[in-house]
Amino acid sequence: MSSRAFGPPGLWADGVAVPAVSVEHLSKSYGDTVAVRDVSFEVHKGEVFALLGPNGAGKTTTVEILEGFRERSGGRVQTLGVDPADTSTQRWLRTRIGVVLQELAIEPYYSVRQVLTRNAGYYPHPRPVEEVLELIGLTDKADDRVKRLSGGQQRRLDVGLGIIGNPELMFLDEPTTGLDPSGRRETWELIRRLAAGGTTVLLTTHYMDEVEALADRVAVLFGQEIVASGTPASIGGRDLGAVTIRFRLPEGVTVESLPVPAEPCEGGHAEIHTEDEVRVLHDLTGWALEGGHPLHGLSVLRISLEDIYLGLTQGAASRRAEGSDTAPPPQRVG
Amino acid sequence: MTTSETPVKGSFRGLSDVPLVARQVGFEQLSFWLNPVGAVLTIGFSLVFIVIFLSTSRHSTVNYLPVNLGQYYVPAFVAYGVMAACFNILAITMVNRRELGLLKRLRLSPLPTWMLLTAIFVNWMIIALIQVVLVLLLGRFGYAVHGPHDVGTFLLILIVGMFSFTAMGVGISTVVPNADAAGPIVSLVFFILVALSGLYFPIRAGSGLATFTGFFPIRHLILGLVDTFNGIPGTSPWNDLLVIALWGVAGVFVSLRRWDWSPKRG
Repeated sequence: MSSRAFGPPGLWADGVAVPAVSVEHLSKSYGDTVAVRDVSFEVHKGEVFALLGPNGAGKTTTVEILEGFRERSGGRVQTLGVDPADTSTQRWLRTRIGVVLQELAIEPYYSVRQVLTRNAGYYPHPRPVEEVLELIGLTDKADDRVKRLSGGQQRRLDVGLGIIGNPELMFLDEPTTGLDPSGRRETWELIRRLAAGGTTVLLTTHYMDEVEALADRVAVLFGQEIVASGTPASIGGRDLGAVTIRFRLPEGVTVESLPVPAEPCEGGHAEIHTEDEVRVLHDLTGWALEGGHPLHGLSVLRISLEDIYLGLTQGAASRRAEGSDTAPPPQRVG
Repeated sequence: MTTSETPVKGSFRGLSDVPLVARQVGFEQLSFWLNPVGAVLTIGFSLVFIVIFLSTSRHSTVNYLPVNLGQYYVPAFVAYGVMAACFNILAITMVNRRELGLLKRLRLSPLPTWMLLTAIFVNWMIIALIQVVLVLLLGRFGYAVHGPHDVGTFLLILIVGMFSFTAMGVGISTVVPNADAAGPIVSLVFFILVALSGLYFPIRAGSGLATFTGFFPIRHLILGLVDTFNGIPGTSPWNDLLVIALWGVAGVFVSLRRWDWSPKRG
Protein backbone atom coordinates (compact mmCIF):
# COMPACT_ATOMS: atom_id res chain seq x y z
CA MET A 1 0.00 0.00 0.00
CA SER A 2 2.79 2.37 0.93
CA SER A 3 4.57 1.61 -2.33
CA ARG A 4 1.70 2.74 -4.56
CA ALA A 5 3.03 5.28 -7.04
CA PHE A 6 1.79 8.86 -7.22
CA GLY A 7 0.52 10.29 -10.48
CA PRO A 8 -0.64 13.85 -11.19
CA PRO A 9 -1.59 15.97 -8.15
CA GLY A 10 -4.36 14.25 -6.17
CA LEU A 11 -4.23 10.99 -8.14
CA TRP A 12 -2.42 7.68 -7.99
CA ALA A 13 -0.46 6.72 -11.09
CA ASP A 14 -3.44 4.63 -12.26
CA GLY A 15 -5.70 7.72 -12.20
CA VAL A 16 -7.62 6.77 -9.05
CA ALA A 17 -8.16 9.65 -6.63
CA VAL A 18 -6.01 9.50 -3.50
CA PRO A 19 -8.33 9.60 -0.47
CA ALA A 20 -7.43 12.07 2.23
CA VAL A 21 -7.44 9.28 4.81
CA SER A 22 -7.60 5.52 4.38
CA VAL A 23 -7.80 3.18 7.36
CA GLU A 24 -8.00 -0.62 7.06
CA HIS A 25 -8.33 -2.92 10.07
CA LEU A 26 -6.46 -0.53 12.31
CA SER A 27 -5.63 -1.80 15.79
CA LYS A 28 -3.67 -0.40 18.68
CA SER A 29 -2.86 -2.01 22.01
CA TYR A 30 -0.85 -0.98 25.04
CA GLY A 31 0.22 -4.29 26.52
CA ASP A 32 -3.03 -6.13 27.25
CA THR A 33 -5.13 -2.99 26.92
CA VAL A 34 -6.86 -2.60 23.55
CA ALA A 35 -7.20 1.05 22.52
CA VAL A 36 -8.48 0.55 18.96
CA ARG A 37 -9.87 -2.67 17.49
CA ASP A 38 -10.18 -3.45 13.75
CA VAL A 39 -11.27 0.02 12.68
CA SER A 40 -11.74 0.76 8.98
CA PHE A 41 -12.93 3.91 7.25
CA GLU A 42 -12.04 6.31 4.49
CA VAL A 43 -12.27 10.08 4.37
CA HIS A 44 -12.74 11.60 0.93
CA LYS A 45 -11.09 14.82 -0.05
CA GLY A 46 -13.16 17.88 0.72
CA GLU A 47 -15.54 16.25 3.17
CA VAL A 48 -16.09 16.74 6.89
CA PHE A 49 -15.90 13.35 8.59
CA ALA A 50 -16.74 12.93 12.27
CA LEU A 51 -15.64 10.24 14.69
CA LEU A 52 -18.32 10.22 17.36
CA GLY A 53 -17.97 8.37 20.62
CA PRO A 54 -17.72 8.59 24.39
CA ASN A 55 -14.50 9.25 26.26
CA GLY A 56 -12.14 6.29 25.99
CA ALA A 57 -13.70 4.96 22.80
CA GLY A 58 -10.43 5.28 20.86
CA LYS A 59 -11.10 8.49 18.91
CA THR A 60 -7.95 10.33 19.95
CA THR A 61 -5.76 7.26 19.54
CA THR A 62 -7.09 6.78 16.00
CA VAL A 63 -6.47 10.41 15.11
CA GLU A 64 -2.99 10.39 16.64
CA ILE A 65 -2.08 7.36 14.52
CA LEU A 66 -3.33 9.18 11.42
CA GLU A 67 -1.26 12.22 12.33
CA GLY A 68 1.85 10.05 12.67
CA PHE A 69 2.14 10.87 16.35
CA ARG A 70 1.48 7.35 17.59
CA GLU A 71 2.46 4.01 16.07
CA ARG A 72 -0.17 1.42 15.28
CA SER A 73 -0.13 -2.23 16.34
CA GLY A 74 -1.78 -3.54 13.19
CA GLY A 75 -3.67 -2.67 10.04
CA ARG A 76 -2.93 -0.27 7.22
CA VAL A 77 -3.21 3.49 7.29
CA GLN A 78 -2.59 6.25 4.79
CA THR A 79 -2.84 9.98 5.27
CA LEU A 80 -2.72 12.03 2.06
CA GLY A 81 -1.39 8.95 0.32
CA VAL A 82 1.53 8.19 2.63
CA ASP A 83 1.97 6.00 5.67
CA PRO A 84 2.02 8.48 8.58
CA ALA A 85 4.39 6.18 10.50
CA ASP A 86 7.00 6.46 7.73
CA THR A 87 9.55 8.86 9.22
CA SER A 88 11.04 9.62 5.83
CA THR A 89 7.88 11.45 4.71
CA GLN A 90 6.70 12.86 8.05
CA ARG A 91 8.15 16.31 7.49
CA TRP A 92 6.40 16.50 4.11
CA LEU A 93 3.15 15.20 5.57
CA ARG A 94 3.15 17.68 8.43
CA THR A 95 3.40 20.62 6.06
CA ARG A 96 0.06 19.46 4.64
CA ILE A 97 -1.94 18.73 7.75
CA GLY A 98 -3.27 20.96 10.49
CA VAL A 99 -3.92 19.73 14.00
CA VAL A 100 -6.07 21.05 16.82
CA LEU A 101 -5.36 19.06 19.96
CA GLN A 102 -7.92 18.10 22.55
CA GLU A 103 -6.07 20.09 25.21
CA LEU A 104 -4.80 23.63 24.88
CA ALA A 105 -1.05 23.85 24.38
CA ILE A 106 0.29 27.34 23.70
CA GLU A 107 3.33 29.09 25.17
CA PRO A 108 1.96 31.60 27.69
CA TYR A 109 4.53 34.40 27.29
CA TYR A 110 4.31 34.94 23.54
CA SER A 111 1.83 37.40 22.10
CA VAL A 112 -0.91 36.03 19.86
CA ARG A 113 0.85 37.45 16.80
CA GLN A 114 4.25 36.06 17.86
CA VAL A 115 3.03 32.50 18.30
CA LEU A 116 1.18 32.58 14.97
CA THR A 117 4.23 34.09 13.24
CA ARG A 118 6.51 31.43 14.73
CA ASN A 119 4.33 28.57 13.55
CA ALA A 120 3.73 30.15 10.12
CA GLY A 121 7.47 29.86 9.54
CA TYR A 122 7.29 26.07 9.76
CA TYR A 123 5.18 25.80 6.60
CA PRO A 124 6.05 26.38 2.94
CA HIS A 125 2.77 28.13 2.06
CA PRO A 126 1.27 29.55 5.26
CA ARG A 127 -1.78 31.75 5.46
CA PRO A 128 -0.94 35.38 6.22
CA VAL A 129 -0.96 35.94 10.00
CA GLU A 130 -3.39 38.88 9.67
CA GLU A 131 -5.82 36.68 7.74
CA VAL A 132 -5.74 34.03 10.46
CA LEU A 133 -6.19 36.66 13.17
CA GLU A 134 -9.31 37.83 11.37
CA LEU A 135 -10.60 34.30 10.81
CA ILE A 136 -10.30 33.46 14.52
CA GLY A 137 -11.59 36.85 15.64
CA LEU A 138 -8.47 37.85 17.57
CA THR A 139 -7.29 40.85 15.55
CA ASP A 140 -7.92 43.11 18.55
CA LYS A 141 -5.92 40.78 20.79
CA ALA A 142 -3.00 40.29 18.41
CA ASP A 143 -0.46 41.93 20.69
CA ASP A 144 -1.78 40.51 23.97
CA ARG A 145 0.15 37.79 25.76
CA VAL A 146 -1.41 34.34 25.39
CA LYS A 147 -1.70 34.02 29.16
CA ARG A 148 -3.97 37.10 29.21
CA LEU A 149 -6.54 35.52 26.88
CA SER A 150 -9.72 33.89 28.14
CA GLY A 151 -10.13 30.14 27.77
CA GLY A 152 -12.35 30.58 24.72
CA GLN A 153 -9.89 32.98 23.09
CA GLN A 154 -7.03 30.56 23.72
CA ARG A 155 -9.11 27.82 22.11
CA ARG A 156 -9.64 30.00 19.05
CA LEU A 157 -5.92 30.69 18.89
CA ASP A 158 -5.36 26.93 19.08
CA VAL A 159 -7.58 26.56 16.00
CA GLY A 160 -5.61 29.39 14.39
CA LEU A 161 -2.39 27.42 14.90
CA GLY A 162 -4.10 24.48 13.23
CA ILE A 163 -4.96 26.47 10.09
CA ILE A 164 -1.88 28.73 9.85
CA GLY A 165 -0.14 26.23 7.56
CA ASN A 166 -2.98 26.35 5.02
CA PRO A 167 -3.56 22.59 5.39
CA GLU A 168 -5.15 20.17 2.94
CA LEU A 169 -6.35 18.05 5.86
CA MET A 170 -7.36 19.21 9.32
CA PHE A 171 -7.54 17.00 12.40
CA LEU A 172 -9.80 18.55 15.01
CA ASP A 173 -9.81 16.59 18.26
CA GLU A 174 -12.85 17.78 20.21
CA PRO A 175 -12.26 21.37 19.11
CA THR A 176 -15.18 22.93 20.96
CA THR A 177 -14.74 21.26 24.34
CA GLY A 178 -14.78 23.97 26.98
CA LEU A 179 -16.21 26.68 24.74
CA ASP A 180 -19.34 28.64 25.58
CA PRO A 181 -22.29 28.44 23.13
CA SER A 182 -21.23 31.47 21.11
CA GLY A 183 -17.64 30.22 20.99
CA ARG A 184 -18.88 26.86 19.72
CA ARG A 185 -20.93 28.54 16.99
CA GLU A 186 -17.96 30.66 15.93
CA THR A 187 -15.75 27.57 15.73
CA TRP A 188 -18.40 25.75 13.71
CA GLU A 189 -18.57 28.67 11.30
CA LEU A 190 -14.79 28.60 10.95
CA ILE A 191 -14.85 24.86 10.21
CA ARG A 192 -17.59 25.40 7.62
CA ARG A 193 -15.50 28.08 5.94
CA LEU A 194 -12.49 25.75 5.85
CA ALA A 195 -14.57 22.95 4.37
CA ALA A 196 -16.11 25.33 1.82
CA GLY A 197 -12.57 26.26 0.80
CA GLY A 198 -11.79 22.60 0.04
CA THR A 199 -10.04 21.57 3.25
CA THR A 200 -10.77 18.01 4.33
CA VAL A 201 -11.74 17.84 8.00
CA LEU A 202 -11.55 14.85 10.33
CA LEU A 203 -13.33 15.78 13.52
CA THR A 204 -13.71 13.91 16.78
CA THR A 205 -16.47 14.88 19.14
CA HIS A 206 -19.00 13.60 21.63
CA TYR A 207 -21.51 16.35 20.81
CA MET A 208 -24.42 15.20 18.62
CA ASP A 209 -25.33 18.74 17.57
CA GLU A 210 -21.77 19.25 16.38
CA VAL A 211 -22.01 16.21 14.14
CA GLU A 212 -25.37 17.33 12.75
CA ALA A 213 -24.11 20.86 12.17
CA LEU A 214 -20.83 19.99 10.50
CA ALA A 215 -20.35 16.43 9.34
CA ASP A 216 -20.99 15.03 5.87
CA ARG A 217 -20.45 11.54 7.29
CA VAL A 218 -20.00 10.10 10.75
CA ALA A 219 -18.67 6.89 12.28
CA VAL A 220 -19.63 5.92 15.83
CA LEU A 221 -16.75 4.52 17.87
CA PHE A 222 -17.70 2.59 20.97
CA GLY A 223 -15.67 0.08 22.92
CA GLN A 224 -12.65 0.71 20.68
CA GLU A 225 -14.48 -0.26 17.46
CA ILE A 226 -16.82 1.26 14.91
CA VAL A 227 -20.41 0.22 15.63
CA ALA A 228 -22.13 2.24 12.88
CA SER A 229 -21.43 4.72 10.15
CA GLY A 230 -23.22 6.81 7.56
CA THR A 231 -24.49 10.31 7.09
CA PRO A 232 -25.88 12.07 10.17
CA ALA A 233 -29.36 11.87 8.62
CA SER A 234 -29.26 8.15 7.88
CA ILE A 235 -26.96 6.53 10.42
CA GLY A 236 -28.49 3.61 12.30
CA GLY A 237 -31.54 3.66 9.98
CA ARG A 238 -32.49 7.10 11.26
CA ASP A 239 -34.07 8.06 7.92
CA LEU A 240 -36.24 4.94 7.92
CA GLY A 241 -37.48 4.81 11.49
CA ALA A 242 -40.67 6.08 13.11
CA VAL A 243 -41.46 9.78 13.38
CA THR A 244 -43.50 11.64 15.97
CA ILE A 245 -46.23 14.01 14.75
CA ARG A 246 -47.19 16.50 17.44
CA PHE A 247 -49.81 19.28 17.57
CA ARG A 248 -52.14 21.09 19.96
CA LEU A 249 -55.60 19.50 20.11
CA PRO A 250 -58.20 21.85 18.62
CA GLU A 251 -60.89 23.23 20.92
CA GLY A 252 -63.53 20.59 21.72
CA VAL A 253 -61.60 17.75 20.03
CA THR A 254 -60.43 14.63 21.85
CA VAL A 255 -57.80 12.15 20.67
CA GLU A 256 -60.56 9.62 20.14
CA SER A 257 -62.21 11.84 17.55
CA LEU A 258 -59.05 12.25 15.45
CA PRO A 259 -58.91 10.38 12.11
CA VAL A 260 -55.72 8.54 13.12
CA PRO A 261 -54.68 6.84 16.39
CA ALA A 262 -53.02 9.35 18.73
CA GLU A 263 -52.01 9.74 22.34
CA PRO A 264 -52.75 12.72 24.56
CA CYS A 265 -49.77 14.43 26.18
CA GLU A 266 -49.03 17.41 28.40
CA GLY A 267 -50.19 20.93 27.57
CA GLY A 268 -53.25 19.83 25.63
CA HIS A 269 -51.13 18.32 22.88
CA ALA A 270 -51.48 15.06 20.99
CA GLU A 271 -48.74 12.82 19.57
CA ILE A 272 -48.88 10.28 16.77
CA HIS A 273 -46.04 7.74 16.37
CA THR A 274 -45.85 6.31 12.88
CA GLU A 275 -43.52 4.97 10.21
CA ASP A 276 -45.96 6.10 7.50
CA GLU A 277 -45.82 9.83 8.03
CA VAL A 278 -46.95 10.83 4.53
CA ARG A 279 -50.27 8.95 4.73
CA VAL A 280 -50.92 9.95 8.35
CA LEU A 281 -50.23 13.62 7.63
CA HIS A 282 -52.48 13.45 4.59
CA ASP A 283 -55.34 12.00 6.67
CA LEU A 284 -54.78 14.40 9.55
CA THR A 285 -54.47 17.62 7.55
CA GLY A 286 -57.36 16.59 5.26
CA TRP A 287 -59.56 16.09 8.33
CA ALA A 288 -58.43 19.47 9.76
CA LEU A 289 -59.11 21.39 6.55
CA GLU A 290 -62.46 19.74 6.05
CA GLY A 291 -63.63 20.38 9.62
CA GLY A 292 -61.96 23.76 10.07
CA HIS A 293 -59.80 22.47 12.92
CA PRO A 294 -56.61 24.48 13.46
CA LEU A 295 -53.53 22.28 14.20
CA HIS A 296 -51.42 24.76 16.16
CA GLY A 297 -47.77 23.78 16.66
CA LEU A 298 -47.89 20.98 14.12
CA SER A 299 -44.43 19.38 13.91
CA VAL A 300 -42.88 16.19 12.56
CA LEU A 301 -39.97 14.93 14.64
CA ARG A 302 -37.64 12.22 13.43
CA ILE A 303 -35.73 10.20 16.02
CA SER A 304 -32.78 12.28 17.18
CA LEU A 305 -29.16 11.47 16.48
CA GLU A 306 -28.71 11.27 20.23
CA ASP A 307 -31.38 8.56 20.46
CA ILE A 308 -29.71 6.64 17.65
CA TYR A 309 -26.31 7.05 19.29
CA LEU A 310 -27.55 5.91 22.69
CA GLY A 311 -29.29 2.93 21.09
CA LEU A 312 -26.14 1.93 19.22
CA THR A 313 -23.82 2.30 22.16
CA GLN A 314 -26.14 0.70 24.71
CA GLY A 315 -26.77 -2.18 22.33
CA ALA A 316 -23.06 -2.73 21.88
CA ALA A 317 -22.51 -2.50 25.64
CA SER A 318 -25.27 -5.05 26.31
CA ARG A 319 -23.86 -7.50 23.80
CA ARG A 320 -20.44 -7.13 25.34
CA ALA A 321 -21.78 -7.60 28.88
CA GLU A 322 -23.55 -10.80 27.80
CA GLY A 323 -20.22 -12.05 26.51
CA SER A 324 -21.67 -12.93 23.13
CA ASP A 325 -20.74 -9.99 21.03
CA THR A 326 -22.91 -10.54 18.00
CA ALA A 327 -22.42 -7.08 16.64
CA PRO A 328 -22.17 -6.89 12.88
CA PRO A 329 -18.61 -7.11 11.60
CA PRO A 330 -16.80 -3.78 11.42
CA GLN A 331 -17.92 -1.89 8.38
CA ARG A 332 -15.78 -0.37 5.71
CA VAL A 333 -16.96 3.20 5.48
CA GLY A 334 -16.56 5.27 2.40
CA MET B 1 -5.08 25.39 0.52
CA THR B 2 -2.25 23.61 -1.27
CA THR B 3 -2.79 20.58 -3.49
CA SER B 4 -1.31 17.12 -3.06
CA GLU B 5 1.96 16.46 -4.74
CA THR B 6 4.54 13.72 -4.70
CA PRO B 7 5.89 13.34 -1.16
CA VAL B 8 9.36 14.66 -0.44
CA LYS B 9 11.47 12.30 1.64
CA GLY B 10 13.89 13.19 4.42
CA SER B 11 13.85 15.51 7.39
CA PHE B 12 17.12 17.29 6.55
CA ARG B 13 17.21 19.72 3.65
CA GLY B 14 20.85 20.77 3.91
CA LEU B 15 21.89 24.41 4.07
CA SER B 16 18.36 25.61 3.40
CA ASP B 17 17.51 24.43 6.93
CA VAL B 18 20.08 26.71 8.59
CA PRO B 19 17.86 29.83 8.52
CA LEU B 20 15.03 27.77 10.02
CA VAL B 21 17.26 26.68 12.91
CA ALA B 22 18.37 30.28 13.46
CA ARG B 23 14.74 31.40 13.41
CA GLN B 24 13.77 28.76 15.96
CA VAL B 25 16.69 29.80 18.19
CA GLY B 26 15.37 33.36 17.95
CA PHE B 27 11.94 32.28 19.16
CA GLU B 28 13.50 30.19 21.96
CA GLN B 29 15.42 33.27 23.08
CA LEU B 30 12.30 35.41 22.82
CA SER B 31 10.42 32.91 24.98
CA PHE B 32 13.19 33.07 27.62
CA TRP B 33 13.41 36.85 27.76
CA LEU B 34 9.63 37.37 27.68
CA ASN B 35 9.63 36.02 31.23
CA PRO B 36 11.92 38.69 32.74
CA VAL B 37 11.63 37.47 36.33
CA GLY B 38 12.75 33.99 35.35
CA ALA B 39 15.47 35.37 33.07
CA VAL B 40 16.93 37.70 35.70
CA LEU B 41 16.85 35.01 38.37
CA THR B 42 18.54 32.52 36.04
CA ILE B 43 21.24 34.93 34.96
CA GLY B 44 21.64 36.78 38.23
CA PHE B 45 21.95 33.88 40.65
CA SER B 46 25.64 33.26 40.07
CA LEU B 47 26.40 36.99 40.12
CA VAL B 48 24.76 37.36 43.52
CA PHE B 49 26.78 34.45 44.87
CA ILE B 50 30.01 35.93 43.52
CA VAL B 51 29.27 39.22 45.23
CA ILE B 52 28.39 37.52 48.53
CA PHE B 53 31.44 35.25 48.59
CA LEU B 54 34.05 37.62 47.21
CA SER B 55 32.96 40.69 49.16
CA THR B 56 33.86 38.88 52.37
CA SER B 57 36.63 36.48 51.48
CA ARG B 58 38.26 37.50 48.22
CA HIS B 59 41.83 37.38 49.57
CA SER B 60 41.26 34.57 52.04
CA THR B 61 43.03 31.29 51.57
CA VAL B 62 42.37 27.73 52.58
CA ASN B 63 45.40 25.76 53.67
CA TYR B 64 44.76 22.90 51.24
CA LEU B 65 44.06 25.23 48.27
CA PRO B 66 47.08 26.66 46.43
CA VAL B 67 45.20 29.85 45.35
CA ASN B 68 43.11 32.48 47.09
CA LEU B 69 39.32 32.14 47.13
CA GLY B 70 38.83 34.80 44.47
CA GLN B 71 40.76 32.68 42.00
CA TYR B 72 38.63 29.71 43.02
CA TYR B 73 35.12 31.12 43.16
CA VAL B 74 35.09 32.97 39.82
CA PRO B 75 35.84 29.87 37.67
CA ALA B 76 33.69 27.76 40.01
CA PHE B 77 30.73 30.04 39.36
CA VAL B 78 31.46 29.98 35.63
CA ALA B 79 30.93 26.23 35.99
CA TYR B 80 27.81 26.87 38.03
CA GLY B 81 26.41 29.14 35.29
CA VAL B 82 26.84 26.39 32.69
CA MET B 83 25.31 23.73 34.93
CA ALA B 84 22.40 25.89 36.07
CA ALA B 85 21.41 26.89 32.53
CA CYS B 86 22.14 23.67 30.65
CA PHE B 87 21.00 21.24 33.33
CA ASN B 88 18.83 22.69 36.07
CA ILE B 89 16.69 25.28 34.28
CA LEU B 90 16.66 23.34 31.01
CA ALA B 91 15.38 20.17 32.72
CA ILE B 92 12.59 22.03 34.52
CA THR B 93 11.66 23.85 31.31
CA MET B 94 11.54 20.61 29.33
CA VAL B 95 9.29 18.92 31.88
CA ASN B 96 6.93 21.90 31.87
CA ARG B 97 6.82 21.97 28.08
CA ARG B 98 6.09 18.27 27.94
CA GLU B 99 3.39 18.40 30.59
CA LEU B 100 1.72 21.48 29.04
CA GLY B 101 1.52 19.61 25.72
CA LEU B 102 3.87 22.09 24.03
CA LEU B 103 6.26 19.35 22.90
CA LYS B 104 3.36 17.38 21.45
CA ARG B 105 2.17 20.40 19.47
CA LEU B 106 5.66 20.99 18.08
CA ARG B 107 5.96 17.30 17.24
CA LEU B 108 2.84 17.65 15.09
CA SER B 109 4.25 20.66 13.25
CA PRO B 110 6.68 20.30 10.32
CA LEU B 111 9.58 21.33 12.58
CA PRO B 112 11.91 18.29 12.53
CA THR B 113 13.02 16.86 15.87
CA TRP B 114 16.68 17.50 15.13
CA MET B 115 15.92 21.14 14.44
CA LEU B 116 13.97 21.57 17.66
CA LEU B 117 16.66 19.92 19.79
CA THR B 118 19.42 21.90 18.09
CA ALA B 119 17.55 25.13 18.74
CA ILE B 120 16.99 24.20 22.39
CA PHE B 121 20.68 23.38 22.83
CA VAL B 122 21.87 26.58 21.14
CA ASN B 123 19.37 28.62 23.14
CA TRP B 124 20.65 27.34 26.49
CA MET B 125 24.23 27.58 25.30
CA ILE B 126 23.65 31.30 24.61
CA ILE B 127 22.13 31.77 28.07
CA ALA B 128 25.03 29.89 29.66
CA LEU B 129 27.55 31.98 27.72
CA ILE B 130 25.87 35.20 28.86
CA GLN B 131 26.32 34.02 32.45
CA VAL B 132 29.93 33.03 31.81
CA VAL B 133 30.76 36.43 30.33
CA LEU B 134 29.02 38.32 33.14
CA VAL B 135 30.80 36.26 35.83
CA LEU B 136 34.16 36.79 34.12
CA LEU B 137 33.55 40.54 33.81
CA LEU B 138 32.43 40.80 37.43
CA GLY B 139 35.46 38.80 38.59
CA ARG B 140 37.89 40.83 36.50
CA PHE B 141 36.59 44.33 37.12
CA GLY B 142 34.92 43.85 40.48
CA TYR B 143 37.45 41.70 42.27
CA ALA B 144 40.61 41.74 40.12
CA VAL B 145 40.45 38.03 39.45
CA HIS B 146 42.53 37.19 36.39
CA GLY B 147 41.99 34.34 34.01
CA PRO B 148 41.60 32.09 32.27
CA HIS B 149 45.26 31.69 31.51
CA ASP B 150 44.70 28.69 29.26
CA VAL B 151 41.90 30.02 27.05
CA GLY B 152 41.85 27.05 24.68
CA THR B 153 41.37 24.49 27.45
CA PHE B 154 38.87 26.80 29.15
CA LEU B 155 36.74 26.94 25.96
CA LEU B 156 37.08 23.19 25.37
CA ILE B 157 35.87 22.39 28.88
CA LEU B 158 33.03 24.89 28.49
CA ILE B 159 31.83 23.37 25.22
CA VAL B 160 32.08 19.76 26.45
CA GLY B 161 30.35 20.83 29.67
CA MET B 162 27.49 22.50 27.79
CA PHE B 163 26.92 19.46 25.59
CA SER B 164 27.10 17.02 28.47
CA PHE B 165 24.99 18.96 30.96
CA THR B 166 22.38 19.64 28.25
CA ALA B 167 22.22 15.90 27.55
CA MET B 168 21.92 15.19 31.27
CA GLY B 169 19.27 17.91 31.63
CA VAL B 170 17.17 16.39 28.86
CA GLY B 171 17.82 12.94 30.33
CA ILE B 172 16.66 13.80 33.84
CA SER B 173 13.60 15.61 32.42
CA THR B 174 12.47 12.28 30.96
CA VAL B 175 12.33 10.60 34.38
CA VAL B 176 10.42 13.41 36.16
CA PRO B 177 6.76 12.34 36.23
CA ASN B 178 4.98 15.72 36.29
CA ALA B 179 5.43 19.48 36.27
CA ASP B 180 4.91 19.86 40.03
CA ALA B 181 7.78 17.48 40.72
CA ALA B 182 10.19 19.06 38.24
CA GLY B 183 11.50 21.87 40.47
CA PRO B 184 11.91 19.80 43.63
CA ILE B 185 13.46 16.73 41.98
CA VAL B 186 15.85 18.48 39.60
CA SER B 187 16.87 21.24 42.01
CA LEU B 188 17.36 18.85 44.92
CA VAL B 189 19.67 16.62 42.92
CA PHE B 190 21.45 19.62 41.46
CA PHE B 191 22.00 21.71 44.60
CA ILE B 192 23.04 18.78 46.77
CA LEU B 193 25.63 17.66 44.24
CA VAL B 194 26.77 21.22 43.64
CA ALA B 195 27.28 21.76 47.37
CA LEU B 196 29.03 18.43 47.90
CA SER B 197 31.22 19.01 44.85
CA GLY B 198 32.81 22.09 46.38
CA LEU B 199 31.06 25.04 44.76
CA TYR B 200 30.48 26.90 48.03
CA PHE B 201 33.40 25.55 50.06
CA PRO B 202 36.50 24.03 48.45
CA ILE B 203 37.02 20.36 49.30
CA ARG B 204 40.37 18.86 50.26
CA ALA B 205 41.69 16.68 47.43
CA GLY B 206 41.89 13.02 48.41
CA SER B 207 39.20 13.29 51.10
CA GLY B 208 36.32 10.82 51.17
CA LEU B 209 33.92 13.51 49.96
CA ALA B 210 36.24 14.42 47.09
CA THR B 211 36.49 10.76 46.11
CA PHE B 212 32.71 10.37 46.25
CA THR B 213 31.89 13.52 44.26
CA GLY B 214 34.67 12.61 41.85
CA PHE B 215 32.27 10.11 40.33
CA PHE B 216 29.99 12.96 39.28
CA PRO B 217 30.64 15.51 36.55
CA ILE B 218 30.00 18.65 38.60
CA ARG B 219 33.26 18.49 40.57
CA HIS B 220 35.19 17.84 37.36
CA LEU B 221 33.68 20.85 35.61
CA ILE B 222 34.50 23.06 38.61
CA LEU B 223 38.08 21.78 39.02
CA GLY B 224 38.74 21.73 35.27
CA LEU B 225 37.83 25.41 34.98
CA VAL B 226 39.62 26.38 38.22
CA ASP B 227 42.80 24.83 36.82
CA THR B 228 42.57 26.92 33.63
CA PHE B 229 42.49 30.07 35.81
CA ASN B 230 45.46 29.20 37.91
CA GLY B 231 47.92 27.35 35.72
CA ILE B 232 48.93 24.96 38.49
CA PRO B 233 51.80 22.74 37.34
CA GLY B 234 51.02 19.05 36.93
CA THR B 235 47.28 19.45 36.30
CA SER B 236 45.67 18.01 33.19
CA PRO B 237 42.13 18.57 31.93
CA TRP B 238 41.73 15.19 30.24
CA ASN B 239 40.49 13.21 33.22
CA ASP B 240 37.93 15.95 33.97
CA LEU B 241 36.84 16.06 30.32
CA LEU B 242 36.52 12.27 30.18
CA VAL B 243 34.24 12.09 33.24
CA ILE B 244 32.11 15.01 32.00
CA ALA B 245 31.83 13.47 28.53
CA LEU B 246 30.91 10.02 29.89
CA TRP B 247 28.06 11.55 31.87
CA GLY B 248 26.99 13.35 28.71
CA VAL B 249 26.89 10.04 26.83
CA ALA B 250 24.81 8.59 29.66
CA GLY B 251 22.47 11.58 29.34
CA VAL B 252 22.08 10.97 25.61
CA PHE B 253 21.40 7.27 26.26
CA VAL B 254 18.71 7.97 28.87
CA SER B 255 17.16 10.68 26.68
CA LEU B 256 16.90 8.37 23.69
CA ARG B 257 15.48 5.52 25.76
CA ARG B 258 12.91 7.48 27.74
CA TRP B 259 12.03 10.48 25.57
CA ASP B 260 8.30 11.10 25.31
CA TRP B 261 6.50 13.91 23.49
CA SER B 262 3.27 13.35 25.42
CA PRO B 263 2.49 14.56 28.93
CA LYS B 264 3.12 11.85 31.52
CA ARG B 265 0.85 13.41 34.18
CA GLY B 266 2.27 10.90 36.61
